[in-house]
Amino acid sequence: MSEPAGRSGAISVISSQTEAGDTADVHHAVRRRKVLVWAARLATLVVVIGGWQLLTSAKIVDRFFWGQPSGIAAQLNDWVRHGTAYGSIWLQVWTTFKEAVLGFVFGVIAGVIVGVLLGQFRFFSDVLSPYIKIANAIPRIVLGSLFTVALGLGIAAKVSLAAVLVFFVVFFNAFQGVREVDRNLLNNARVLGASRGAITRHVVIPSALTWIIASLHVAFGLAIIGAIVGEFLGAQRGLGLVIATAQNNFNPNGVFAAMFIIAVLALTAEGLIGLLERRLLSWRPPSSVEASPA
Amino acid sequence: MASTVARRPVQIELSGVTKRFTTPSGSMFTALRAIDLVVGAGKFCAVVGPTGCGKSTTLTMVAGLDRPSTGTVSVGGQGVDGITAGISFMFQADALMPWKTVLGNVALGPVFRGRPRKEALSQARDWVRRVGLAGFEEHHPHQLSGGMRKRVSLAAALINEPSILLMDEPFGALDVQTKAIMSNELLGLWEQTRPSVIFVTHDLEEAIALADQVVVMTAGPGTVKAVYDIDLARPRGAVQEIRFDSRFLELHHQIWASLREEVEAAYARTARGGRS
Repeated sequence: MSEPAGRSGAISVISSQTEAGDTADVHHAVRRRKVLVWAARLATLVVVIGGWQLLTSAKIVDRFFWGQPSGIAAQLNDWVRHGTAYGSIWLQVWTTFKEAVLGFVFGVIAGVIVGVLLGQFRFFSDVLSPYIKIANAIPRIVLGSLFTVALGLGIAAKVSLAAVLVFFVVFFNAFQGVREVDRNLLNNARVLGASRGAITRHVVIPSALTWIIASLHVAFGLAIIGAIVGEFLGAQRGLGLVIATAQNNFNPNGVFAAMFIIAVLALTAEGLIGLLERRLLSWRPPSSVEASPA
Repeated sequence: MASTVARRPVQIELSGVTKRFTTPSGSMFTALRAIDLVVGAGKFCAVVGPTGCGKSTTLTMVAGLDRPSTGTVSVGGQGVDGITAGISFMFQADALMPWKTVLGNVALGPVFRGRPRKEALSQARDWVRRVGLAGFEEHHPHQLSGGMRKRVSLAAALINEPSILLMDEPFGALDVQTKAIMSNELLGLWEQTRPSVIFVTHDLEEAIALADQVVVMTAGPGTVKAVYDIDLARPRGAVQEIRFDSRFLELHHQIWASLREEVEAAYARTARGGRS
């Protein structure tokens, strides 16, 4: 760009060489930055876990209350080798996972159906809107006590609690998504001769899907919370029960170890929902997939 | 099969149509007052008028998306009640489903009318080709330019072989060159099937170049001020060239004199409204 004028042939050769050099430089810089970011991430992990380990070893922080990374690892190892007080660790994981997934599925189905229906029928939504507001203001987690009494110590109480938590999030998003459907698209479909059912199927649901899928990320987290709290309140197996037992035994390492397992579960589910999102919303321009509404 | 026979064009008639809306504050707002308008079967009618004179409202009532407060709208001699049969509507904004491909969007008309999916798709493929988008069947709307999206809308509007085509400033958002190209294509396609058209626009040149009949509306509440017959021969050829035809200039001069008063009146009103 800033070459002196004249001898244009030679200059263009030189500049194309520098251009090639520039692209190589850019690639190099990008790679270097990536390496740097990962190195910094690793360092953060080492500092936090190592610091925790050191502080507890040096007795600056009491490991009786706050646990210790090596203790957590030992606890996990012990669970895998010898199982928990309620059977193998895998059984506990499977129980909690099953409860969360079932609650998630029921909550999502009910939330989408009710949201899409209420969103389309103005009259019903006007009638029900104050009650929905009230229901949303209630701390629904308390329903867990009710479900435990009514449905017993089995899986049903946990699934119900998870489903209720999931339902409201999904419902609100589905409802809002239906309300936000572009008037033009609706009128266009009507003029083209679409029946009410065809409009719902071809216009309303695809349009609301962006909102619904955005809610699923939050919803699965809530499903796990529902399952765990349900198990706290009374259960015969499950990670919530394992945590409650660890708490009663003054075993912070047990609490942390169960927390770790739950985090792995949640991250896996999050990854699967991300895949589903990319599949169902593949029509969106790439930039808006990255910046999806949360 | 019924679809292979082009629908017979029909006459559109508005008589004494008034439309009032209730504003959020509870007062009444008259958008249209005592409109009388006849668009002959197979005629191309352009409606021009200042912003906010109720041009779009007229279209929604012909389509059956809205009802007049008083007066009647009839299509082919039948009063409009619910969505008018055999009608297509091209909206000002894109009315394409962003989650459907070009082919899927164009196929919506036949799909909504209960055609088997396969037949709908092959019909759509044919129309995509006719608007010059062959090769873009599997693209999504966001991957297309504004002009290409308008072509998709045009194909989606024409695939049902409508007897009436309503267009609400369809090319308003396009640049001048693309607009000229789209106008030529519209004329070419219209001459093949000759539906009755009501074409709302702000652009008087576009109106004269395309239409058989130009309706000038007054500043709100809108009513018909004058109707001009455009006696330029058909087929018109390129819209860019007809602009230099002496008859075109004469008509333009004449209609603009009438339209200008209304545009100025509407402007004065908004300017006054802004100041008070």
